[in-house]
Amino acid sequence: MTTLWDTTGSAVVKELAAQRRTGGAVLSGVALTLVVVADEGRVTEAEDAATVAAEQHPCRILVVVRRQIEAPVPRLDAEVSIGGRLGPGEAVVMRMYGRLALHAESVVLPLLAADAPVVTWWHTQPPARLAADALAVIADRRITDSTSAPDQLAALRTRAQDYAPGDTDLAWTRATAWRATLTSAVDSVAGRRGDAVRVLGGRVEGAPGSATARLLAGWLSSRSGAEIDVVQATRHPGDTGVDSVVLQLDQDEEVRVHTDRRGGAVISQPYRPDATMALPDRSLGDLLGEELRRLDPDEPYAEALEVTTGLSGLTGRASLRSHVWVDPAEQDGRPDGPDGPVDAESVGDNSPHGAAPTVPPTSEGTDEVALAGEHDSPDPTAPEAVR
Amino acid sequence: MIPNPLRDPRDRRLPRVPEPCALVVFGITGDLARKKLLPAVYDLANRGLLPTNFALLGFARRDWGDQDFAELARDAARNAARTPWREEVWERLASSVRFVQGSFDDDNAFDELAATLGELEGSHGIGGNAAFYLSIPPAMFPVVLKQMQRTRMAESTPDRWRRVVVEKPFGTDLASSRELNELVDSVFSAQDVFRIDHYLGKETVQNLMALRFANELFEPVWNGHHVDSVQITMAEDVGIGGRAGFYERTGAARDVLQNHLLQLLALTAMEEPVEFSADEIRTEKLKVLRAISLPEDLGTFAVRGQYEQGWLAGQRAKGYRQEEGVDASSTTETFAAVRLGVETRRWAGVPFYLRTGKRLPRRVTEIALVFKRAPHLPFADTDTEELGNNQLVVRVQPDEGVTLKFGSKVPGSVMEVRDVSMDFLYGEQFTETSPEAYERLLLDVLLGDATLFPRNAEVEASWSVIDPLEEFWAGSTPEPYRAGEWGPRAADQMLAAEGRRWRRP
Repeated sequence: MTTLWDTTGSAVVKELAAQRRTGGAVLSGVALTLVVVADEGRVTEAEDAATVAAEQHPCRILVVVRRQIEAPVPRLDAEVSIGGRLGPGEAVVMRMYGRLALHAESVVLPLLAADAPVVTWWHTQPPARLAADALAVIADRRITDSTSAPDQLAALRTRAQDYAPGDTDLAWTRATAWRATLTSAVDSVAGRRGDAVRVLGGRVEGAPGSATARLLAGWLSSRSGAEIDVVQATRHPGDTGVDSVVLQLDQDEEVRVHTDRRGGAVISQPYRPDATMALPDRSLGDLLGEELRRLDPDEPYAEALEVTTGLSGLTGRASLRSHVWVDPAEQDGRPDGPDGPVDAESVGDNSPHGAAPTVPPTSEGTDEVALAGEHDSPDPTAPEAVR
Repeated sequence: MIPNPLRDPRDRRLPRVPEPCALVVFGITGDLARKKLLPAVYDLANRGLLPTNFALLGFARRDWGDQDFAELARDAARNAARTPWREEVWERLASSVRFVQGSFDDDNAFDELAATLGELEGSHGIGGNAAFYLSIPPAMFPVVLKQMQRTRMAESTPDRWRRVVVEKPFGTDLASSRELNELVDSVFSAQDVFRIDHYLGKETVQNLMALRFANELFEPVWNGHHVDSVQITMAEDVGIGGRAGFYERTGAARDVLQNHLLQLLALTAMEEPVEFSADEIRTEKLKVLRAISLPEDLGTFAVRGQYEQGWLAGQRAKGYRQEEGVDASSTTETFAAVRLGVETRRWAGVPFYLRTGKRLPRRVTEIALVFKRAPHLPFADTDTEELGNNQLVVRVQPDEGVTLKFGSKVPGSVMEVRDVSMDFLYGEQFTETSPEAYERLLLDVLLGDATLFPRNAEVEASWSVIDPLEEFWAGSTPEPYRAGEWGPRAADQMLAAEGRRWRRP
């Protein structure tokens, strides 16, 4: 592991290349790049989760921590490790200060694994419009977590308004185990009857303010066409915000699934004894791992989100976003041209606090630096002013 | 599957879960059950892939209560489980574990088994579905199958399915395998019989089909115009362990060549199935197996060997004849190599070299396609001295993956071309999702998906390849090789006779 203090993006690229060369037989194939946007306070949590996910899906982890946007001088600190504390693959943790934080993509873009999908995960409050973060624009899949918002339902609405195919939410991932259990319970009724089952209604008992409970109810409604709502549970629901689910089926039958608080779910159905299935609380890393398993748009999620929020036409939206320049220093958020990506000129314009480290005029001599494996020392190619 | 409004083909997060059912294991105290089956059941439960209503029934001669059995099962599962141990998962599973004691010729025991199954139908809601796993020596099959027939446990009806899982060996020659197939098919209907060849449960073997049929890159060269020869190797570094009795009667050809190697050959050589379904894939495999030809000169192109004492991985290893339980003048082979042909338009003239052995230097299974040399090399002879044939190697185990070997210029001022290899390691791209073969196959049995199971016609076609070999070898003495060598000299000569040599895996 090498830490580069007050460095530049190209020095990080070189260091990564140098470590790969000296590392011998290290993991060379990566299936994707995972960009993690985290707050300083939650960076350890995010790193742990990304490490678990990277063990399931080898990927290059790029952690971006944006700090002190108001700092007068932009600065980049980076920690480069291969097969170290952040799992078996390559990982770079970058802390960006000052105006650089608004141009994080300038550091991230050259670090992306070649022609591999990019997944961006916000372990922080994501922007209301994901397009405002260039790290969302470069991603094939974008992961947010509405359960971490102070108002989870408002967060869901925001996500629905901003939705584009390829967006997903960990609140939805938390519902997977419930969905699997419910599906399997209905399978078992259908298996007994030897005939199709219709869901006529039902309810989710849990915390009405929980995004996961809402999405679960939305999914049930979208699949069955029946009105299914979240009602306050008498017991305090667990992490997922769901305590039990009741489904009214045709032929006057009812299926009920409730948690047993010991990592299991009890399924009650007609003509069968109660059965217990595993329904463990899952770690953040596990949830993230599930998200990385498939990288195409998740239509069932979009449909559940539609029903939950009452918006329609989510699946039909364009999956590509174009970057929208929003400057937090200016309250109104001046758009940078008509939806166009930020070009080099305007970056300068928008950085009144001083120029970002400038790119060396030529790339000569860069290989020598990479070979020399410049460790913990200032980058000699960086301009004087930054050192 | 019966329509369920909550199921959505686009929803790939929801796992395939079997219908409510019971798994009945005969010979639950055996090695296989303890090392593979019970851990696989736990792993499936832990991954949430077992149905809501599931029961596990063990049948064996030992006098045990449900409690003793649950304890044994727990230890076995815990020792060998692939996924992290979660006591609560096991507790739930243990609540549906039953043990029935009895010998296989005991009518009462089987009546009790049938009654227990009926009882579980009520108490555990298994819906009458059951899979019977015969983890017992084939000699016991007739007794057990007759008992199942008598108690009418084997009958599938529209309301319920009953399936049977059979382990290799599927007979010892064509005649005996026919007999066995007829016996099993007379009790269970043919589509309810699942023959386990655990090699087919391995991810790389399934990936072979993805590699061939999902890509544009490989299929055009996957034929006799470009392929010079194919080498399929399954090497083991272990000896026969405690299986002397079984091995003395069987030998390497029957133990490995007949099933694993011929199945790998079939998957390598088969045409594209019309669709990716059990029936279509098995049809294509069967066509290949039927097209296999044996060399005329068996003396040169069919070699068998037996290991003598030697050194392996820094340890002294006994010779086969010195192993406990082995006849001091045994002529059972522990190594077999053969050159086969596949008489189809695609493969005419391409030799398929198959070899397997025990006490070889390392444990490895791989399929190597050796390509022809480029028809013209514009370089000077000295430039390409180190250039070999291009190779595409599918590594089945260990280090599951694919290697492509091709020539590349050595950096420097002269033109020099040398072989390099490009590696795709399965574990690098997808690590977590490689379930143990038994886990996958067990799940497929419960789901009723027969894609990865050979059917009886395939088994019979395989025996028709092996029988003439066994006939030729009968009465001869295998060539000796030292433990820790890549087989007898004759195996190298077999390839040298045609100007080729074995790849060192």
